[in-house]
Amino acid sequence: MQGMAGQRFHDRKDAFWSGIRDGAGAPAIVLFAGMVGFGAMGRTNGLDIWFTSFTSIFMFALPGQVVLLEMAVSGSSFVAIALAVTLTATRFVTMTVTLFPQFHKDDRNRRLYASVHLLAMTAWAISMREFHAIEAKHRWSYFVGLGLLCWLISIPGTILGFFLAGSVPTYITLGLILINPLFFLLTFTEVKPWANRIAIMLGCAFGPMFYLLHRESSLLSTGLVAGTIAYFIDRKFFRKKPGVIG
Amino acid sequence: MHTVLQGWGLWLALIGACIGTYICRAIGVMLSGRINQESEIFRWVAAVTYAMVAALTVRMILLPIGLLATVPLWIRLLICILSVGVMMSRPTRRLVPALLTGTLLMVTYGVIH
Repeated sequence: MQGMAGQRFHDRKDAFWSGIRDGAGAPAIVLFAGMVGFGAMGRTNGLDIWFTSFTSIFMFALPGQVVLLEMAVSGSSFVAIALAVTLTATRFVTMTVTLFPQFHKDDRNRRLYASVHLLAMTAWAISMREFHAIEAKHRWSYFVGLGLLCWLISIPGTILGFFLAGSVPTYITLGLILINPLFFLLTFTEVKPWANRIAIMLGCAFGPMFYLLHRESSLLSTGLVAGTIAYFIDRKFFRKKPGVIG
Repeated sequence: MHTVLQGWGLWLALIGACIGTYICRAIGVMLSGRINQESEIFRWVAAVTYAMVAALTVRMILLPIGLLATVPLWIRLLICILSVGVMMSRPTRRLVPALLTGTLLMVTYGVIH
């Protein structure tokens, strides 16, 4: 398929701008809404604008940002917070490992350590869908355009949410702070692997119990207990060929 | 009611969270092309992550802190069920309509109340 009708892009600049255009649609709206919701959560939980927007600039990972905010508000120690947030970020390891080998080998240099910060769910999903139809030497430029747009819209999104929550009527703020829990809940319906589905169900069941037992450590303990049980249930009952090395 | 992490602790948590998040991205770059993403450790880590995010989501809906706590539990649950219903009503992606449904219903509740 690749190179069948020549190249999709003339040059790197073309690929970069095409990445920006592809990002500016429904996925970016959802991301923007999530960031607005996060900004509103920061405001209603009594955090300042710097803290709230710094998380979007330097973490750029909504689940981790929400974990940070919720744990900070419920008074967890900073070590527990850093650990829990890092665990939520482990998905970036798998995301990078699947995406980055598709770049041209000339682009696989130290600059990737800078551009990887632009990698998050939205840019990853679009890139995985589009890369097969893009010649290897233009993939990196396309990804940078796409990722940069997603990152750059998150920052005004967060700031907007923060100030909206302080100035609009309470009923609007209610809608804004519902966006993130609802978004996570809705994405669960699209999860396919059984291990992850079981993990979600067990996490939902154990989460509130562990929270009532010991609030500060409940996210970590629920994740480890429910995730490990789900992993073993999947391994024992749902996998066709256990222990196979692909 | 609850103790909010403050001052240095809060910023240390932020720095720790940023570094932890970046390290995961950097490890991905380091390993890219050299590791099998179907390996057992990745499966386990993915399960733990989903369980954590699920626990967080349920907690934010069932036992929220702050403004959402002023909305009765059954309203919160009803709105979530209706949104998931919109999401599942068609096999194609309906994330934006489902998200809008939930948000607008919550705003409507706020207006009525």
